Amino acid sequence: MCLLKKTTLLLFLCVMCFTLTSHAQLLKKLKDKVNNAVSGNSSTNQSQSTDANTSSSTSSGSPTNTKGGGLTNTTPPDVNQQIADAEKSQAAGDYSDARYSIQQALMGVELQIGKQVLQSLPATVSGLQKDTMQNKVMSTQWGWNNLTIQSVYKKADQQLTVTIGNNTMYSGFIDLYFNNSMYTQTNSDGKNQNVKQTKVKSYKAVITYDDSKGYTLLVPLGQSSLIVWECLNFATEQDVMNAANSFDIDGIKKMLGEQ
Amino acid sequence: MRYLIILISMFITTAVFSQNFTTDIATAKTSYSSGNLEDAHFALQQAMQEIDIIIGKQVISLLPANMGNFVANTKDDNVMSNVGFMGSTIHRTWGQNDSVDVSIIGNSPLITTLNVFLNTPLLGGMMSNGNNKIIKIQGYKGQLTKSDEGNGQFNYTIQIPLASSLVTFTAKNTTDTQITTWANTLPLQQIAKLLQ
Repeated sequence: MCLLKKTTLLLFLCVMCFTLTSHAQLLKKLKDKVNNAVSGNSSTNQSQSTDANTSSSTSSGSPTNTKGGGLTNTTPPDVNQQIADAEKSQAAGDYSDARYSIQQALMGVELQIGKQVLQSLPATVSGLQKDTMQNKVMSTQWGWNNLTIQSVYKKADQQLTVTIGNNTMYSGFIDLYFNNSMYTQTNSDGKNQNVKQTKVKSYKAVITYDDSKGYTLLVPLGQSSLIVWECLNFATEQDVMNAANSFDIDGIKKMLGEQ
Repeated sequence: MRYLIILISMFITTAVFSQNFTTDIATAKTSYSSGNLEDAHFALQQAMQEIDIIIGKQVISLLPANMGNFVANTKDDNVMSNVGFMGSTIHRTWGQNDSVDVSIIGNSPLITTLNVFLNTPLLGGMMSNGNNKIIKIQGYKGQLTKSDEGNGQFNYTIQIPLASSLVTFTAKNTTDTQITTWANTLPLQQIAKLLQ
């Protein structure tokens, strides 16, 4: 009896699927007919536009973007102006606007801190030149926890990317690593140790190696900041340590307000 | 008389917070002009927390004094500010043993998941187990969840996302019709305006 019920259900589902498929086919045919009719009327326009965009069209006919100068750089929020706006809104009892202005002021201050940190980074590291086009400071309006500063150094096939971030989640992750001896002994195949603890200028650090990513060195700073060096095509672990040692970690820590 | 006392105490609290706000803003200005960015940052954060608390108190003042026969436990009203991962938390209960409860959390990490659930009919259908459904309260989409307490009692929860804040409204030992009626007494539009 149960088997009969199941079979009936299965048959019903099959019929439903078939009906849906045939409906879809019917709709597709209708759509094609409408498209043909429309394209017949506007064939001249289409042929002209196709000629103009031949180099920038995909096989499906939709154009791809080949022009555009990107977004213009806007100045960071004017902190003094935003603070004045916040005071005005607060006095008028418009707290939602006051909050928004304070957020903007916070973002302005964070971007300035980020720029200061960027400027304090060395111009060359182990012979690698700073690529000033790739300096980045990113701040979200969520307060302190989302400031990210990045700088890239290059020479021939070597590249060093330094990222300074302020996010409690990173630091928590690294602390877990330091406080758990189980992780510190992780070996890839029992012979080569690909993750280990080390120190950079008396700061606890973790260094990892991966054939495809090269060396990565992480140093947590204070309560919620972290510096990460990603080194591509560096010959030895010592080269990475030498590069990291040329950064003023104490200065960065101070600028980020970490203790 | 009681409402008068509440109103006066709210005014005094707001006045105290305004004073702190003025001090923090003054510190932020001085620190910023002297190039001490870290201190300016800290003072601005403090100012923002105070604004959050003032906004929270305004939201609390908008909440109804009664939910049916349950009276608000105003002495347990709570507003907490937390700059960073989550924003402010506003909390009020009604009745003995907190029979009805509302909490409004700013920048809630649950918002994204809930919004996906509310705006994807297929997902909403698949994840529905007969104990939850999508409803509308004053035009705002929300999720109604029923939970069996095992003693013949059913508790209901309505979760409504308001911009980046999450309103969670819970009622113990009630029915879906009753909780929906009560939820409709929350001034959601005014709350959304304050929290935006």
